[in-house]
Amino acid sequence: MAEGHITNAEAPQFFTRLAALLDTNREKGHGSVYLTQKRMALSPDAAPSPTKVADDPLWDTHPANPLPVIVRASDTKEDKAKDGSRRDKPKIKFSTIVQPDALDAFYARYAETCKAGMSALKKRDRSKRKKDKRKKAKTGDEKKG
Amino acid sequence: MPRFSTSAEWLSQSSLLLKARPTSTRISSKYSVLSPKASKVSKSRKKAATLTASEPAAAPASDDVSATPTPTRANIATFTLKTYDPASGTCLKYQTNKAAEVGRLVGSLGKLARVMAALPEVVEDLSAPIDQAGTHTPVPEGVGKDVKAGDAKGPPGGGGAGGGKKKKKGKK
Repeated sequence: MAEGHITNAEAPQFFTRLAALLDTNREKGHGSVYLTQKRMALSPDAAPSPTKVADDPLWDTHPANPLPVIVRASDTKEDKAKDGSRRDKPKIKFSTIVQPDALDAFYARYAETCKAGMSALKKRDRSKRKKDKRKKAKTGDEKKG
Repeated sequence: MPRFSTSAEWLSQSSLLLKARPTSTRISSKYSVLSPKASKVSKSRKKAATLTASEPAAAPASDDVSATPTPTRANIATFTLKTYDPASGTCLKYQTNKAAEVGRLVGSLGKLARVMAALPEVVEDLSAPIDQAGTHTPVPEGVGKDVKAGDAKGPPGGGGAGGGKKKKKGKK
């Protein structure tokens, strides 16, 4: 990755970029956005000494301290052949490291951004329910009559 | 590669996998908007053609106009969640196309992130009051919900009293 992670303090930047990514996807009208999350196990205190690992092979299931989570976002590479442009468009990708104490706040905002950005998904279909109600009412009337 | 039909099932299985292999497991979610396959497009065009044939009045003018927007409108958007553990090769998937589910699914991603971060799973206790605050429902409403579910499933005799309680609360 050419640029570093967006650090915890710059989390808002992650959301603005994510919103922009989803927006460009909407403008294009097609394409995919990938979001991944994984435990950040590269910090020095997370990896214990080899002897300890040998002693307790499942050490990672109960670490001493809570670990940060890395959240990555990217779109797909665009093929020049499809687009008709001269070069492949590289992926847009960025990531943020969320500290354990900031997880809840992060995910609340994450949900908001995703809900707003993923607008091409099917909206709740209310017309069907209304129809059903009408049908029910009709059948009820018939029974009464 | 199991695909689950309910998100709750996916969540429970994923959290089990995460607990077993917290370091190697990753969760990726994919939001994709794809234009439909050529075969589907031709099918829908045929359908449209038959429709316009049945309504000859609107046919010639609207045909050209509607031909261009239909493919974009027919784009298929999906939201796929995938839990994958490269060490064991386990892969759990859930896919939806409903916008209403996104909020809940990202919420469950948050729950799983807590497991990833090795935070204690007090999530349900913590999240419950937050949810209730959001919908302006204090503790008794939760009881009401339970009663509702009981009403729908259980015999009318057992749920009757609960139903009455719920009505009283509504009046207040």
